[in-house]
Amino acid sequence: MSAGPKIVVTGIGMVTSIGTGREAFWNALLAGRCGFGPVRSFDTSRFGVHLGAEIHDFRPEDYVRKLDARAIGRSSQLAIAAARLALTDAGLNAEDIDTERAGVCAGTTSGEPHFIERFDDHYVQGELKKVGREFITRYPCHVVPCHVAMELGFSGETMMIPTACAAGNYAIAHAADLLRSGKASIMLAGGADSFSRITYTGFARLGAIAPDVCRPFDRNRKGMVPGEGAAMLLLELKENAMARGARIYCEVAGYGLSCDAHHMTAAHPQGEGAARAILRALEQSGLAPEDVDYISAHGTGTATNDRLETIAVKKTFGRQAYKVPISSIKSMLGHTMGAASAIEATVCAMAITEGRIPPTVNWNEQDPECDLDYVPNVARNHQVDIAMNNAYAFGGNNSSLIFVASAA
Amino acid sequence: MDVDVIRTKVKECIQKVTGIDAATISDSAAYVEDLDLDSLSILEISVSVEESFKFHATDEELSSVRNVEDTVALVMRRACVEVA
Amino acid sequence: MSNISKKRVAITGMGVISSLGDSSASLHSALCRGLTGAYEFDELNGFEGRGSGRITAFQAEAYLKGRNLRPLDRTGQLVVATAKLALADSGWTAERLAEHTAGLVLGTMFGSVHTIAKFDRHALEQGPACASPMDFANTVINAAAGQTAIWHNLRGINSTIASGSASGLAALGYAADLIRSGDQTAVLAGGADEFCFESFCGFERGGMLQTSEAFPVPFHEARTGFAVGEAAGLLMLEEWESAMARGARILAEVRGHGSAFDASAGEDRAQAARSIARAMTLALSDAGLSWHEVDCISASANGSVHADRDEAVAIGSLLNGRGPDLAVTAIKSMTGEILGAAGALQAIDMVESLRSGMLPAIRGLEQNDPCLPELNFCRQPRRIDGSCGLINSVGLDGNAGSLLISMSN
Repeated sequence: MSAGPKIVVTGIGMVTSIGTGREAFWNALLAGRCGFGPVRSFDTSRFGVHLGAEIHDFRPEDYVRKLDARAIGRSSQLAIAAARLALTDAGLNAEDIDTERAGVCAGTTSGEPHFIERFDDHYVQGELKKVGREFITRYPCHVVPCHVAMELGFSGETMMIPTACAAGNYAIAHAADLLRSGKASIMLAGGADSFSRITYTGFARLGAIAPDVCRPFDRNRKGMVPGEGAAMLLLELKENAMARGARIYCEVAGYGLSCDAHHMTAAHPQGEGAARAILRALEQSGLAPEDVDYISAHGTGTATNDRLETIAVKKTFGRQAYKVPISSIKSMLGHTMGAASAIEATVCAMAITEGRIPPTVNWNEQDPECDLDYVPNVARNHQVDIAMNNAYAFGGNNSSLIFVASAA
Repeated sequence: MDVDVIRTKVKECIQKVTGIDAATISDSAAYVEDLDLDSLSILEISVSVEESFKFHATDEELSSVRNVEDTVALVMRRACVEVA
Repeated sequence: MSNISKKRVAITGMGVISSLGDSSASLHSALCRGLTGAYEFDELNGFEGRGSGRITAFQAEAYLKGRNLRPLDRTGQLVVATAKLALADSGWTAERLAEHTAGLVLGTMFGSVHTIAKFDRHALEQGPACASPMDFANTVINAAAGQTAIWHNLRGINSTIASGSASGLAALGYAADLIRSGDQTAVLAGGADEFCFESFCGFERGGMLQTSEAFPVPFHEARTGFAVGEAAGLLMLEEWESAMARGARILAEVRGHGSAFDASAGEDRAQAARSIARAMTLALSDAGLSWHEVDCISASANGSVHADRDEAVAIGSLLNGRGPDLAVTAIKSMTGEILGAAGALQAIDMVESLRSGMLPAIRGLEQNDPCLPELNFCRQPRRIDGSCGLINSVGLDGNAGSLLISMSN
């Protein structure tokens, strides 16, 4: 896969609980700002936990122009916003693009959960006749990338890859493949998820939600914090980007996807599948572990994930694991589900161009089993030529994506 | 409620979740070591037991359940007050 | 087009669970005999089924003996069972799976919206502390793919594709490309969707289901909408040389695929038709084939008033006078609209049609709609003398995909 045309990132856009758009988001990350607070979008009084990372200041009407912003779901709104921001960041107008060769590939965990939640409310109240046409046209998860494509007028391949918490990486990998094989000239790739009571209920039931903050890799970590968000990366062939004088963030050098085939909600106890994904990504990129300058971790803040992820990194990097900084922005954003690895991919792109890496905040005490350099609490200047983005999902879906600085 | 009745009902919950014949489950069976269950199944059993006996355990209590005896003890502690 | 050399994609086995049979042979035989699926569903909360429903005869225990089925929901059961059939059909034993990695790419429109809703409603009514952990594991749309990987030890790529009712064909294309690029050697690919009240209700409230009593007939002048069923279909795709080296029986070849999106969201019918036409053209170009080399078409048409016409117009616009030659069938005249499984079942039946030389008819099409272009619609099962078929899968929300299968050596 290191053969073939080079694929580059020329635009990034994101909507998060700590900032919307590249500049606001990056500054907030480097400052260690957190997006946690008591859940507002539904009543958590019957729950034992109440913490979430919701986005409070998002105005869909600022970004949704063609479609009716109020008719489409929140995940679609977030995805459209991220897409428009990425296009603008790339210096492109939709009118300048060969739309037949422009596509959208998105990832998600829940799609548009509010529609099924509303359906269930009607069901429980015996009011099924109140279910309108919008349920079937706005709920199924593939409508998220469809709405982005409709909004921008893109008519190339449009696909949803709902591989849960690793979905963003899967979407970016597929988009890169489409570009490499000549099936598209421009791809918007990323992920979106909106705050869901179903997701919250499930993680609360698993005892996975932290009561106070998210502190990945810390000895006293108590779990993850569900969040929401979206990110889109604009990908194109390097030769096209250079021809139009675009600013290039980085290249998508390669990826590795694997399946644990072990357990639905718990990772393999020896980090076996995660390790295979890391090795495959390095192999595909033609790189060795010592080449990697920064790892954007999955780092959810649960006791198990952080321990097993550390095992996987040590297994594949050996002693080098102690030399490469690895941080988790979920310490600030919480777990944005299908958007997570897409948002984290934009962080890799920025780390490469800015030469700075975000911290893992809320870190106070070392866990003897998590003894790597997690960039505790303070952002750091660090030259990043090669960044790895890891993400792991329910169903044992593992993913590693590698970005490299683009040589002139 | 009699402890034997509780134990029988707990084993029925285990059978419902795992398919393991309740009659073959020993009173001291450990969920992981003896019944080869994963964390999701163990949690599902606990939820089934909670529903069956109409009580709610805390996350701490649930995470310390390792075997049939632990579950029975949990029911005795939490549910008997309401059921008896 | 890229100059990366591409490997060939062999189809070495197929598995299917459908209302018309649980093998590719029984499915094809039933389709050629013009049977419709036996679908039923009782708990429709006052709505009328009219041809929609569940495969009444499906019993997961019959396929998955001796193991606890509780962790699986119905979608999971359908996919795990179908995977078992496909693996057996392609000679991938448990021993082989332990030594070599096979992957899984599953297309689905809903995952299991029933499990999602059931989990949600139970928590609403009983309180969140009563939510089921096992059900939660199945609320993610990639759950069935994950469960199937666990059950059958599939450690290669594991991906889930959602493109509405075009998901199954999109999954086949996605998997085929991974093999062509050399990234994967063996991948089970296809699609599944269960029948459940939630999705049925959605289609009904969306005004998409047929209003007549008779089972929907695609392309028929009096068509009013579709009936929704359920199925699962998986094909084992393998890199050609690797399949030959292990002595696999090669059934057919995936030659290429193409996809396009109708950004007008169905508002502009001409644009919708052009999207479908573009998907077909891209598929042919990807396969390096011309229309003269295509012997038959398996249409996506399901009885929808507009979509059937869009597809017919698209096909007509490309054939340049070849209309009378090229046989067109539509198996949803018998399977109903099976959503994520559609593209997979169309592909499975295309393999059987090319092998047997017999293409099923469009059941019930005594007279097609005079508003449609003149195409060679199969009104009777048709002898086909050829080796290459094109399959269309058109989603309800603008996704259009096409895939080419041939019997070439």
